[in-house]
Amino acid sequence: MTVAKSWASVAAVSSARRAGRDPIALAVSVGFFAIVASVIATLWRTAAHVHGGSVAGYTAVQLTWYLYFAEAAVTALNPRQIELTGDDIATGAVAVDMLRPASVVGLRIATEFGRCVPRLTASAVVGSGLALITGGAPTDSVGLLLALPSLVLAVLCNLAAQHAVAGAAFWVRDARSAWFLYQKLIFLLGAMLIPLEALPHWLHRTAELLPFVTMAYAPARLASGHVEPPLLLLQLGWLVVLVAAAVAVFGAGERRLQVVGG
Amino acid sequence: MTATTPALRTGLSTAIEATRLTKSFPTGRGRRRQFIEAVHDISFTVESGERVAYIGPNGAGKSTSIKMLTGILHPTSGSASVLGRLPWRERRALTRQIGTLFGQRSQLWLELTPRETYRMLGAIYRLDTTRLRSRVDELGELLEARELFDQPVRSLSLGQRMRCELAACLLHDPLVLFLDEPTIGLDLLAKQRFRELLVRLNRDRGTTIFLTSHDVSDIEQVAERAIVINHGRVIYDDRVAAMRRELLATKIVEVALSEPIAFTPSQGVTTAEASASALRLVVDTTVRPVREVLDTLLTIGQVTDITVTDPPLEQVIAEIYERPRT
Repeated sequence: MTVAKSWASVAAVSSARRAGRDPIALAVSVGFFAIVASVIATLWRTAAHVHGGSVAGYTAVQLTWYLYFAEAAVTALNPRQIELTGDDIATGAVAVDMLRPASVVGLRIATEFGRCVPRLTASAVVGSGLALITGGAPTDSVGLLLALPSLVLAVLCNLAAQHAVAGAAFWVRDARSAWFLYQKLIFLLGAMLIPLEALPHWLHRTAELLPFVTMAYAPARLASGHVEPPLLLLQLGWLVVLVAAAVAVFGAGERRLQVVGG
Repeated sequence: MTATTPALRTGLSTAIEATRLTKSFPTGRGRRRQFIEAVHDISFTVESGERVAYIGPNGAGKSTSIKMLTGILHPTSGSASVLGRLPWRERRALTRQIGTLFGQRSQLWLELTPRETYRMLGAIYRLDTTRLRSRVDELGELLEARELFDQPVRSLSLGQRMRCELAACLLHDPLVLFLDEPTIGLDLLAKQRFRELLVRLNRDRGTTIFLTSHDVSDIEQVAERAIVINHGRVIYDDRVAAMRRELLATKIVEVALSEPIAFTPSQGVTTAEASASALRLVVDTTVRPVREVLDTLLTIGQVTDITVTDPPLEQVIAEIYERPRT
């Protein structure tokens, strides 16, 4: 990317951030996150206490931080982003983006990222507060610090993957419903609800080979006090692959866009 | 803004050239897969600085043509050149030189003010802060919309929003403006204002205007030339004034009378309306010259006023649409 293109993306992010700052929508979204994450964290803490203080190597405190960060990473994004993007392609609304001297998918990812920054920030702050109150202090503050850039990478990986999937709408009439399956894959293979280490061995190994772990597991594992910097490298690597996939899908799709009428 | 010669700005005498442009869309799947030809073998040339109306009934292929000329759609066959570029191959480079406005699709962000959207577009079009600020001020003045730029888009009326949309597509000072039904949904006053803006823009900046519309007044008041398309084919291409003159060889003669007269229509003349004080006649000039009808009227009665007008443009366009398909 040239400097100018990067600047275009930054500008898109910045404008979109203002768009995502609607206080009521933000409060509803963060409130929903707080309730869901609190319920799941409570369940896992109870499970840890029942099992003598830990589950799959995570203590009750670690599980609490894990779940708040896993939830924050995933719920910062619109869960139906694939559907929205697919709709824009199917209805031809994407044509407006095609009339800009910039990458269509690059601009869309940048604007969606900008839109979710206020939600991600608020969820991280509220989640950390709740984890501190209900679970206790984090076991390793370095891990918690590493979790912050990891949250950003998690959202970017998720957005790039969703655009790569939504790009199927250029070929298939209805690719929108894929959002439902995609979301379930993040829940399970992204280890959003169940830590990767608590999954059956074969599923754990399978999940490690897929990109979903970059979207929830990576920031959650770091926030739970595991200082594992290679997780950030894994996220960066997958981000490059997923952005390349999204760019390739949109590049090929734009050439075969079929929009009839105005 | 200072008046600019179009060719001086573009460096090209031809702004748009379409050569045997054809676009088919697939429908159905498998064995039932068929192709519908939305645009068939269209050819035309638009000179730099021209104001052209591209008109036709619903489904005629207008929007599909614009989407090919702006590089959004790839044609099935044929070629096109906009400002010397092949639109679908050089789309991104071309977008720096053209502006596009779809009346039914907004490019403004509902959550932001227009000024915030312009800031984002300014970065995308690589306008530096000073240039962007002066351009936004300039457009605010031209479009009489300066006070609208700081209001959230969702609070603007449709007419106000369209002015802000136009500013968004003029931000990078495009050489060619593609407008797809830009006045759709606007009230009479807003339409009138919008048309005046387009003409002023063309005169002051030499911007080539290529416009589709169903509104005859858009064509009459903005365009100098009309290209009529139907069933995906160009069926007429000439000056708007010539279109009216050539296509319907009729004139409307309206007469105000001081006292009733006994007028008997002759061959080629029909009475559309008649009262004690007024008469409205439709004259077929291929059968009877207007002058002859006027002489007769002046001879037989006390005429206080006579007006001779062309038939409404709607009628002319309807006449073109109804022509048999060749």
